[in-house]
Amino acid sequence: MSAGETDIGGMDTPQSGLAARAGRAARWRTRQAVQFWLKWIMVALAYLFLHAPLVVVVGASLNGGGQFAAIQFPPVNPSLEWYFEIPARQFEALWLSFVVGAVAAVGAIAIGVPAALGLVRSNLPGKTFIAVVFRSPLQIPAVVSGIAFLQMYYMIGDATGFYAQGTFIGLAIGHVFIAIPYVVGPVTAILQRFDHRLEEAALSLGASPWRTFRRVTLPVIMPGVYAGGLYAFMVSFGDVPLSIFLTAPGYVTYPVELFFALENDFNPAILASGTLVILFCLAIMILVQRVVGLDTLLRVGGTGKGR
Amino acid sequence: MGVRSKGLAFISLFAIGLASVASAHAEQRFDGVVLRVATFGGSNKDVLDAAVSPKFAALGGKIEWVTGSPQSNLAKLIAARGKAPFDTMEILDAQLPDFAASDFLAPLDLEKIPNKQYLEDWQYDGKTMATWLTQETICYNTEKFKELGLPAPTTYKDLAVPALAGRTVIPDITSGGGLANFGGIVYAAGGDLRNVTPGLELIKSLKVLKFWSQGGETVTQFGSGDIYAAVVHAGWCVRAKNAGSPVQTVHPYINAEHTGVHKYGRQGVMKSSENYEAALWYINEYLSIETQTALAVKTGVFPTNKAVIARLGDDPTLKQMLELDPAKISKQLRVDYTDVSISDWVDQWNRSVVTN
Amino acid sequence: MTARWGVMLAPSLVLVLILLMVSQTLFLEGSFYKDLGMGRTSKDFDFTNYVRIFTDGFYLNALWITIKVSALAMICTLAFSFPVAYVIARMRSRWGMVLLSGIVVSTFITIVIKVFGIIIIFSADGWLNRTLMDLGLTDGPYTLIGTQEGIVAGLMYFTLGFGVLTLYSVIQTIPVSLEEAAMIHGASRFNVFRRVILPLSMPGLVGGGLMIFNMCMGAFTSAALLGGGKVFTLPVLIQRTIMMEVKYSMAGTLAAVLLVAVILINLLSMVLVRRMRIGRGVVA
Repeated sequence: MSAGETDIGGMDTPQSGLAARAGRAARWRTRQAVQFWLKWIMVALAYLFLHAPLVVVVGASLNGGGQFAAIQFPPVNPSLEWYFEIPARQFEALWLSFVVGAVAAVGAIAIGVPAALGLVRSNLPGKTFIAVVFRSPLQIPAVVSGIAFLQMYYMIGDATGFYAQGTFIGLAIGHVFIAIPYVVGPVTAILQRFDHRLEEAALSLGASPWRTFRRVTLPVIMPGVYAGGLYAFMVSFGDVPLSIFLTAPGYVTYPVELFFALENDFNPAILASGTLVILFCLAIMILVQRVVGLDTLLRVGGTGKGR
Repeated sequence: MGVRSKGLAFISLFAIGLASVASAHAEQRFDGVVLRVATFGGSNKDVLDAAVSPKFAALGGKIEWVTGSPQSNLAKLIAARGKAPFDTMEILDAQLPDFAASDFLAPLDLEKIPNKQYLEDWQYDGKTMATWLTQETICYNTEKFKELGLPAPTTYKDLAVPALAGRTVIPDITSGGGLANFGGIVYAAGGDLRNVTPGLELIKSLKVLKFWSQGGETVTQFGSGDIYAAVVHAGWCVRAKNAGSPVQTVHPYINAEHTGVHKYGRQGVMKSSENYEAALWYINEYLSIETQTALAVKTGVFPTNKAVIARLGDDPTLKQMLELDPAKISKQLRVDYTDVSISDWVDQWNRSVVTN
Repeated sequence: MTARWGVMLAPSLVLVLILLMVSQTLFLEGSFYKDLGMGRTSKDFDFTNYVRIFTDGFYLNALWITIKVSALAMICTLAFSFPVAYVIARMRSRWGMVLLSGIVVSTFITIVIKVFGIIIIFSADGWLNRTLMDLGLTDGPYTLIGTQEGIVAGLMYFTLGFGVLTLYSVIQTIPVSLEEAAMIHGASRFNVFRRVILPLSMPGLVGGGLMIFNMCMGAFTSAALLGGGKVFTLPVLIQRTIMMEVKYSMAGTLAAVLLVAVILINLLSMVLVRRMRIGRGVVA
């Protein structure tokens, strides 16, 4: 960089060609710098946007003054009072949400990955339409899905005697359904960028199709699978409108519990419990990072690297 | 509390204890019964659970709570084509015509609900019993009003001044008190249940900050100074005051006949219930002095039990915020939804308030 | 080989189709019968509900608003998540993972809680509004809640994490060496972006963008909480029709209109993308 500054300093020299080149170089550098900073400004804004409400929630959760106090930020006479007032059922609900989220992620991967492979690789007629089918659970408002599933469960129950509403299975099926597109999306995106010749090379070298899939294809799409699974989990974990209809006594998910708690009542302890969820997620992230490394999960491994 | 009353309380506690021990031994009336009760989530359920569940357990049964708004519970009921996933449910007054038109509720055997003695006649019929009220008020920040040189409001129209533009909130029509307050505003604006346009015009002139759907938001916004006045039920105003905001309720003047508005909740037993007796027992317990007192003190809803209402005046904040005079309560507007087309109201509301 | 991939798709497709068809048919079927309230419908098959929606400016406007805020939220989400994903993907230190964890954790927190933070940030007497007014940027206090921008922001809380994750997994498959080579040959950062990174991440941008758009079109919670009861997207109207008006067949009709609109937009954009690709002569 210091060399660049001497260049600019040398602009007054009589050799105009050199000066022009130096000028161009300077402009180029300015533009580089602007683009460099623009990128970081966008990143900073994104984090500010995402995290400002969380900072306020965490901060306000430290307010003192018992369960009748107002939400204030910055907190007034800080204490952990509200943390001791979190109702036990919120922890139960949190656990249920966690389990349902995990089931939704696994189920969505089991259905979504073959779907993505088929969508990108096959030359079935009407592929575009099939893609729309897999994406459709996204577009149906969840409240419609909720009532529709509830009606379906009653109908199936009337026919078979097994009523799935208000059971864990019923709740999980609904969540898997809405989570499928979140796996299909990212896996499809990676597959579309995937170099076929790698597989062809493996096959021509005598590897069996299954071995080729396991050793070549799978490592490449794995980041998409993990990202999709993670997002399936997130969507399930945060869902309100679908779960309202599929939950039952003993099976209330965390956001639904909060939603109901806020509907006709207000206990600032929800800020404390929200803060605990943030800490809990952070802990899981750190754990994942320590044990396997988040980057190894989401980064293309093995053969995909350094192509 | 004098020594004598303490002793009395002790004796009566002892008697209750004895009685419950005796009954537990004598007959397990609800042995193995699992009663599913649909009610509001949050502290409402907690209070009911603490007040009623131990007594039911002593009789051998267990209560499961299905939490949710009466609206979502009705939606579940319809999806189930009447095969209710609960035995007894909370019903809003606004839903009564819906329930009357459908056939979801079982007739109540009033003999089995002795606590009906504490209710006014209009508070129960063959199928439902009123278990709570909310007094819908204008809650305003007295200091801010003084600062702005505004007199205390007496009715909704008083909020339609430039100094309060963007500083007031009223409930969204889909929130619990939305329909009752809308009814109040419509009457106050000179309209009636068939012609709500004047009410919608009045709402437009208020230039509200938003239409709230969660009361906790109004408490927060009173605290942060965003809003100076809110149409909320008195319980929320009590909350805001307890949270340190200098607020006071006004029971809005509606017309020559009515001052103040209230909505009420009712409890009914589902026709599909297999635990009819237990459900009746639950309603009776809901109306008991202990349960109604606990609800009033801890959640801010207004009891229907006359004996409990008489005692609320002991609490200075409640005395200040609520209308406790039975004569005046009976003059509060209670919207009769029989001839109201709610879907028509909601439709007109949507079209009027939308800023799309 | 390609036939086998088709077979692989079959079980998933059958499963999703069954869930979709059985649940939705029950619901959407009602849309062809006049609504009588309380979940009951008339017995005569007709198009009353559809006629009503398509002749009523209110519903058409709601559909238009839904498409508008969804498209805006998609554009903003992509615009923000691209640099974030790029920076994280190219970061060699541990900080990359810290940044990524930050995105994931924030997405885990339900909007039901976040909205309290948003209310306080945009509080009329809060520091943000005071600063805005001191700088003369706004005349009065500004709040996100109850505005279309607010809904766009609410939708972004819902989709930003997804955008970053999707683009991250795509960008980090683009070898750094390609960019370095371009830079060595004198390409500016912008040109590297335009000529190398952008085309190579196009599938991710298009696929991710469509997903984000679809997520927004069906989103209820964030749209309802940030809409403040003043702005109605179609999902919010559907919720009201079900919960308050108890009109299932009308809600089913609105849902069908939403579904068809989204499917049409999806198909249209896919056709457009394909045409663009063929036009540019890029072999997929």
